[in-house]
Amino acid sequence: MKTEIIKLQNETGLHARPASKLAKLAATFKSNVKLNVNGKSVDAKSILAIMSAGIKTNTQIEIQCDGEDEEEALKEIVKAFNDNFDE
Amino acid sequence: MLKGKGVSRGIGFGNIIVLKTEERNIEKKIMPAEKMEEELKKFNDALKSAIDETETQLQNISGKEAEIMEAYLMIMKDPSLVVETENAIKNLNYNAEYAVEVGFNSVIQVFENMDDEYMASRARDILDIKNKILGKLLNEETANISNLEPNTIIVTKELTTSETAKLNFKNVSGIITEIGGTNSHTSIMARTHSIPAITRVENATKIFRNGDSVAIDGMLGEIYLNPTEEEKQKLLVLKEQIQKETNELEQYRNMESKTKDGFKVELVANIGVPADVELALKNTAEGIGLLRSEFLYMDSETMPTEESQFDAYKKVAESLNGKNVIIRTLDIGGDKELKYLKLEKEANPFLGYRAIRLCLDNLKIFKTQLRAILRASNFGKLSIMFPMISSIEELRDAKNILEECKRELESENIPYDKNIKVGIMIEIPSAALISYKLAKECDFFSIGTNDLIQYTVAVERGNEKISKLYSKFHPAVIKLIKEAIDGAHSQNKFCGMCGEAAGDELYIPLLIGLGLDEFSMNSNNILKARKVVNNLCKKDCEQLSERILDMASAEEVENELKKFVNN
Repeated sequence: MKTEIIKLQNETGLHARPASKLAKLAATFKSNVKLNVNGKSVDAKSILAIMSAGIKTNTQIEIQCDGEDEEEALKEIVKAFNDNFDE
Repeated sequence: MLKGKGVSRGIGFGNIIVLKTEERNIEKKIMPAEKMEEELKKFNDALKSAIDETETQLQNISGKEAEIMEAYLMIMKDPSLVVETENAIKNLNYNAEYAVEVGFNSVIQVFENMDDEYMASRARDILDIKNKILGKLLNEETANISNLEPNTIIVTKELTTSETAKLNFKNVSGIITEIGGTNSHTSIMARTHSIPAITRVENATKIFRNGDSVAIDGMLGEIYLNPTEEEKQKLLVLKEQIQKETNELEQYRNMESKTKDGFKVELVANIGVPADVELALKNTAEGIGLLRSEFLYMDSETMPTEESQFDAYKKVAESLNGKNVIIRTLDIGGDKELKYLKLEKEANPFLGYRAIRLCLDNLKIFKTQLRAILRASNFGKLSIMFPMISSIEELRDAKNILEECKRELESENIPYDKNIKVGIMIEIPSAALISYKLAKECDFFSIGTNDLIQYTVAVERGNEKISKLYSKFHPAVIKLIKEAIDGAHSQNKFCGMCGEAAGDELYIPLLIGLGLDEFSMNSNNILKARKVVNNLCKKDCEQLSERILDMASAEEVENELKKFVNN
């Protein structure tokens, strides 16, 4: 299992568009991908789960990948967060 | 006769079709255990058909709109969306319809309870999906709007983007909606396709029935249900008159805008949203004299980002194909509110914290917009215009911030138009009176008559009781307009006007006489204005303006202009 903590930069939080991009990306990996945030654990492959977590800008998020491609998954997802999901 | 808000000019006759948004009555049934699989299948088929429909719609759109639709589609495909619904069928033996009702409502509630306004409003998306699925489950007939009978008048709460995409405009002779304003999606679309439209007709979907015969006047916002012969005749005459005028104006489509003695002016358009560009170009606008940037802020649940603004401005710049677009920076505050920007209530909002005053005090908002405009200026010809300038300091401060944004972009190696022009609105008498000084430090003026009149005669625009005092013919207003034009010309700068007066056929001769260079108006008035300009002589107009500058009352001025036009 691999984890990394990042801080959400998107000004308007993790709303529909970035959430859909994240879920789409997470779904391309075999590993389980979870976001641990505000004491909750959220399935990053579900857009609905991401959105209903209501993650606001500047929130710390622990990204957790678990599975055969966990290393690559973590790298790509952290990169997507750092690129602000091209918003 | 019923009355609403006329948002797209024209007369329409036809038969009503009501696009349904009726409340459903979902019955709760406990199904026998052996029916469970069947109900589950019913639900999954309905879901699948809703998903298919959305996927088809997605093919017809692009850009940000498509990204939003894609997110919507992902929600529909998300397994966690249907967990509750499936549980209700499997464990509680509910019928599919009722299971959808309770299952989706539990998801909707999660969103509604969020303390984030944007997320809370996503509840609407889920509600939308729920309604789609229920519509399928209940075999509700949705009117086939891609295949309408000729002369159909559509009645609906509000036309949605996906409905408009399917609509066959050829057979639509009018649109009536319950909600929406001048800049709502329906209104813009109606104007672009020259379909008469009326909004804000309360309970329209309940008052009208399919097949009702109606006649509508899209300018006055009047609706005649089962019109009498007399009413029909009256509107028919009006319709023919409008048609005749339109045909007559066709010849001015490819003409230059200049007077008989060769004085050239620019006839450009005021637009409120990028979608109105199409209408402006259709009416041969020679550019955009005023792009009100408020749409970006009003339509949004949160402060619009630099990217989203950049996208919108870039789109306009590109579609104008090298013609000038003047973007007015955020003109908000006082009477125009934003949900996400909490402003204090003021006793005199028109004299208060608004427009450039607010921007100079909220640099983050201001710089975000300026950076977006600068970046978009690389894709066409854009100009920046500051509203509500009352002193030279405000102009200087705003320009300093603009320079700061330019330096930032340079250090980030982001290209922008280094020759981008910067102008100001002249809408406060103090600015008109120091126009000679202001003109030295900016590239152009645009006179905003609506506010200039209000501030000159101290009459609030919307106050009916004193509306008689609000007049563009007041000699003081005309003197201030002259000051602004002369001030700009003294520094070889151009002076435009973007208030309603610029498109008024009675007023245009006076403005030509005073030397106005650019007339910015609603797109629908451009051809008519070109006709007026092309039949004038600058010399006559100059003499007219001299006579008028010597007059004492608004009444005299108005009469003199009427006399001039009728000669």
